[in-house]
Amino acid sequence: MKAEYANPFIRAASEVFAHETHLQMTRKGLELRKTPLPSRPVCIILGITGPIRGQVVYALDEDFAHTVARRMLPGKLPAEVKRLTNSAISEIANMITGKASIELAGEDKTIELTPPAVFTGERFHMDFLNIPTLSLSLISEAGSLEINIALTEGSS
Amino acid sequence: MRLKTALIIDDAAVMRMRLRDILEPHFDVVGEAEDGEQALSLYEACRPDFVTLDITMPKVDGITFLQNLLKSHPDAKVIIVSAVGQKQTVFKALTLGARDFVVKPFDPERVKTAANRLFSKA
Repeated sequence: MKAEYANPFIRAASEVFAHETHLQMTRKGLELRKTPLPSRPVCIILGITGPIRGQVVYALDEDFAHTVARRMLPGKLPAEVKRLTNSAISEIANMITGKASIELAGEDKTIELTPPAVFTGERFHMDFLNIPTLSLSLISEAGSLEINIALTEGSS
Repeated sequence: MRLKTALIIDDAAVMRMRLRDILEPHFDVVGEAEDGEQALSLYEACRPDFVTLDITMPKVDGITFLQNLLKSHPDAKVIIVSAVGQKQTVFKALTLGARDFVVKPFDPERVKTAANRLFSKA
């Protein structure tokens, strides 16, 4: 796992959150883990294929997920915001990964993303592959986001 | 004067809603699809004046949809609206025949300008 994979995600998350939610995200921590297993109850998983491949797993608390959706959907009724929360956070994850992928791909590579999948609840169980993972923590005044980057170079 | 019609193709409901809110005062949004497979049959049914198209979608992705659509409708007007703004992807989409490429996150004005440009005479 290359430590430099972290920076495109930090920059992308800051820009996407500022644009979509007007929240300023600040990096709080960076650690190396054995798997991308998330430590928050709401998680969004995206696959990456191509010359750089693997998984990116975003995780956040339920309250923060609702805050993000509310901020992305100003003027919408609370029931509608609640209904669209999973869609809102998966789109945020998609935009962050898409933006980071522009930097990772550079001039001549193409990196493909899979559509995001959202999982919620404290009790779900999922096995993640043992891929060395960079785990980033970003904080804002309204909540925090964990980004687990499990990427490796080489075509599948 | 009849408003030009639009079909929105994006797997994220939140993005379809946002695009509808941006376009609707100026265009008539006649349909929404959440993947490329659904979009092709909806296109045939609605025959919109233009399409906004996401790339990363389940079942049939945006690039495959674009290829299929332009095979049967070479004059179809397509604006890509996607988070995957990598240089090679943008180049591929525009080479295939997309008229514009808007990278998410976007400003509403950028989408409006892209749509208006499709029908400007200059």
